[in-house]
Amino acid sequence: MNKQLYVVFTSLNVNIPYMGIYKNLIFATMLFMLSDLAQSRPVSWAGGSTIMYRTNSMMSSYTFHYSPTYKYSIGAEYVNDRYFNNHFINLRSTYLLDRHNTKISQRNIYLTGGISTKTNQDFSYGIHGDWETRRLFSSFSLINKHTKEKDYTENEFQLGVAPYLGKYDDIHTWVMLKAKKNTINNNWEIYPFIKLFQGDFLIEVGSKNSHWDVHFIIRY
Amino acid sequence: MNKILVMFMVFTVSSVSAMEKSGGHGHGSHNDESHQHSADESVNGSDTAFPEKMFSEFTSDLANVQIVIVDVNGMVCDFCARGIEKVLYTDDAVKKVGVSLELGKVLIAYAPSTKVDFEEIKNIFLSNGQNATGYIIKKI
Repeated sequence: MNKQLYVVFTSLNVNIPYMGIYKNLIFATMLFMLSDLAQSRPVSWAGGSTIMYRTNSMMSSYTFHYSPTYKYSIGAEYVNDRYFNNHFINLRSTYLLDRHNTKISQRNIYLTGGISTKTNQDFSYGIHGDWETRRLFSSFSLINKHTKEKDYTENEFQLGVAPYLGKYDDIHTWVMLKAKKNTINNNWEIYPFIKLFQGDFLIEVGSKNSHWDVHFIIRY
Repeated sequence: MNKILVMFMVFTVSSVSAMEKSGGHGHGSHNDESHQHSADESVNGSDTAFPEKMFSEFTSDLANVQIVIVDVNGMVCDFCARGIEKVLYTDDAVKKVGVSLELGKVLIAYAPSTKVDFEEIKNIFLSNGQNATGYIIKKI
């Protein structure tokens, strides 16, 4: 259904500057509206699947994603929300709004969204982007979360550097710095973490005020 | 904290600007092909920019194949290249795949009878989110 919609929109031959961006925005909006899905990263290759585990001071989650094309992914996420003492499943989707590839870099902008299967009063939406070379990495995200208890916003920035440039199949290492804030605590937390990946496996580990921040990804 | 945020934004914007200028690939076009090479065939591999040592290592266990060396934009990490390899290996005509992250090139060993279609190769790379921008064919 979504693919058909995208074909319809991209087949419109209207000569308006930046129409491609508007088409993508319209399609992304309809994707979220029609599928009631939303949120998360990463988008994989066409036909690729991703399993993620994430835990931090506020929550733990298990996520499965499937990417029909490299432009978007759909999936589900089980969340154990320790802050609000809540358990629920989110339906999530991410749409790659724009990507720019050069020989030495890649830049991405994503739209994300999610909705709880427990109640439609719990949903989230936002934008995130990243830019990376083999040596440098930077990203940002801005996510608005709406719950029965409270509405809040999460901001996050990351900077990273690879201390060495590994070859294909090597273990790749990134030394990262993360800054994040939500409007519940309204305080920025800045802490370092390490990102390691090899083959289809990636793990990020950091610690802030005795709380572990761990993100584990398998892609296949 | 605001100073850190400002520094982060300045760093990001200046880095993106500098790198995209050095990459020289236009304004956000996903299918940027400004550096496409002309197809070339060689039996000794002497007319390619691909390092001979790396080429020899890749072909050490191969014989009677044609090697397509593809220039790729956006292949900046191991994770990025993983899907390319997976998709290429679903083609029975592909004997071996090699990835050079440092050069931004992918080597594909095809059976000698295979007709290489660069449009098809470009689509495979695009389905993984990268752009194939040029290629050279070498026969061994």
